[in-house]
Amino acid sequence: MKLLLLEDDDSTRAHLERTLTAAGHVVDVCATGPDAIFLASSGEYAVLILDRMVPGVDGLGVLKALRSAGVQSPALFLTAMDGVHDRVEGLDAGADDYLVKPFAGIEFLARVNALLRRQPIVEVVTVLRVADLEVDLIKRTVRRAGRTIELQAQEFKLLEYLLRHAGEIVTRTMLLENVWSFHFDPRTNVIESHISRLRSKVDRGFGRELIQTVRGAGYRIDALG
Amino acid sequence: MHWASTFRSGAFRFALLLAAVFAAGSTAVLIVVERSISDYALEATAGSLQSEAAILSGEQREGGRADLLKAISRHRRAGTEQQFRYLLVDKGGVVLTTDFGTVRPGLGWGSVRVAENAGTGPSVETFKSLGVRLADSSLLVVATDTYDIQALRRELDDFTILCGVGITLFALIGGYLVGSLFMRRLERVNLSVGRIMEGSLAERLPTIGISPEFDRLTANLNRMLERIGALMEGLRQVSTDIAHDLRTPLTRLRQQLESVQEARSIEAYDSGVEVALIQTDEILAIFRALLRIGTLEGGAGRQRFERVHLSEIMDRVFQAYQPVAEDEGKMLTAEHARKTVVEGDGELLAQIFTNLIDNALVHTPPGTRIVSRLEMRQGRVIASVADDGPGIAASDRPNVVKRFYRLDRSRNLPGAGLGLALVAAIAALHDAHLELEDNRPGLAVRLIFPPGTATH
Repeated sequence: MKLLLLEDDDSTRAHLERTLTAAGHVVDVCATGPDAIFLASSGEYAVLILDRMVPGVDGLGVLKALRSAGVQSPALFLTAMDGVHDRVEGLDAGADDYLVKPFAGIEFLARVNALLRRQPIVEVVTVLRVADLEVDLIKRTVRRAGRTIELQAQEFKLLEYLLRHAGEIVTRTMLLENVWSFHFDPRTNVIESHISRLRSKVDRGFGRELIQTVRGAGYRIDALG
Repeated sequence: MHWASTFRSGAFRFALLLAAVFAAGSTAVLIVVERSISDYALEATAGSLQSEAAILSGEQREGGRADLLKAISRHRRAGTEQQFRYLLVDKGGVVLTTDFGTVRPGLGWGSVRVAENAGTGPSVETFKSLGVRLADSSLLVVATDTYDIQALRRELDDFTILCGVGITLFALIGGYLVGSLFMRRLERVNLSVGRIMEGSLAERLPTIGISPEFDRLTANLNRMLERIGALMEGLRQVSTDIAHDLRTPLTRLRQQLESVQEARSIEAYDSGVEVALIQTDEILAIFRALLRIGTLEGGAGRQRFERVHLSEIMDRVFQAYQPVAEDEGKMLTAEHARKTVVEGDGELLAQIFTNLIDNALVHTPPGTRIVSRLEMRQGRVIASVADDGPGIAASDRPNVVKRFYRLDRSRNLPGAGLGLALVAAIAALHDAHLELEDNRPGLAVRLIFPPGTATH
């Protein structure tokens, strides 16, 4: 499972490559749009990480070219362009996620991981299970160790997102974007408050805590054990 | 100005065009005039020939051939210059009298060329002739020279050419004068534009004059300059703000990094770096907010406007914040009118209410009640976030929407004083009126959307 990284700035490219390699990924790097198109046309990459602004053909152009050539690998855009419009444009071009520079290394890895785990063939999942927790997406019911747990709509959405990424780190920004559709960081601890409510319902009194806090990064559903 | 450039100038081209139009027009008019005048002269000649022939026929009828011949010789002598020429042939073909030498003009209209020996020497002249049959069957031909007509024609031709050239020249000069007047005025505008480009940004374009359309053009261009000036001033303000207000957090970051350098244990080093990272993120957040305010104030984003469900957006923000309020011992309630639609950008509107509720939570003590409200009043959509906290003094309310302005009592709280500035920028982009009011007690921030945003 190789990754392709397109980034024109030498220092940033080296840093991101180190970050990915340290996390156990195999990475091919390139600095220009045409190189990225040439490499990615093989279709052998699990995730494409494209800098939006590179000389020559830019990230947007690279992705459009690859998508029209039938390359389906999920793509993550890295960009310094922060406008609402820029993100929509990126997603329209076929990007699966969009990360604004500068970003924390842990956030970057979490996004890449989320794309790596994405199933290419979307099978219809109706029940999510981790350990003794069971979430029925159709009946919208939650049970743990045989006991029914009542959740509010937002709490259900939050738990569903965490479970779909069980075992992975999910950052606060990812939760804000995917559960609340907020593409900006509120000052107050919106996520913390919701997580603590969810914990009090899902984890309290069940012995083992499924929702883990990853310090300085976000949360993770403990999928093991 | 060089001559070459004079000829290439717009004024000259304008003059040339004008002259061409005038030349064509006057030529057409003069040709018509010339034609009708010479036609008239020919008709007059024909008329006088007919009447002369009628008079002589009358002489013949009344007094016979003898009287006729007498009348002819009498007419020949009349006047200093002989007006008519005569030919009389009896029915046997004998020439009784002739002024044509050997030439024999016939019955009806014709023209005769006769050699003349008049003063200056021999010359050939063309005569217009009219032949009539008299009562005694003899043939009478009366002719008159066409010299006058030809002279008239020649003079008319000369006049036509002269007038045509005159009018054309006149148009050329007039066109050049008008054109160069126009060009001079344009040149003034051009010079003014040049000066503006060189940096005298306060300068405005002079009026072109001549017509209201041109004045509207310069007025519009001037308005455009005003707008650009305002935007540039805004940008300048932003960069000044950045320079001033990032100095403090950057100084703190620098001090932090210096103290990390002195760390003597791995734990101290780790925690020092972590603090530095948090400080860096704060600086970046300020940058991001400033950039966003800047682009919004520039009017970017309006092209993405669509009809958005404000009820749904405010519900979402309310639901996100309710647990936060509860954790902080405050009561957040929502009174949202259903299915309220406005023209706008959903994401930016969500940010407005996030910031307002964020503010209401951060700047109030526990026990505060906060109400998020959405209502329709007199056909206008009004959204508000009100609290019963300490509020903001009336004198401070206009200031808090300015970038980096912070109340003294909140200096130790998180934030950079950009939240309301961003709210104001987003509101302005939506043409929504932003009001900060005394909630007696507390603060009410109201957003009044322009009329025409309807409920579905």
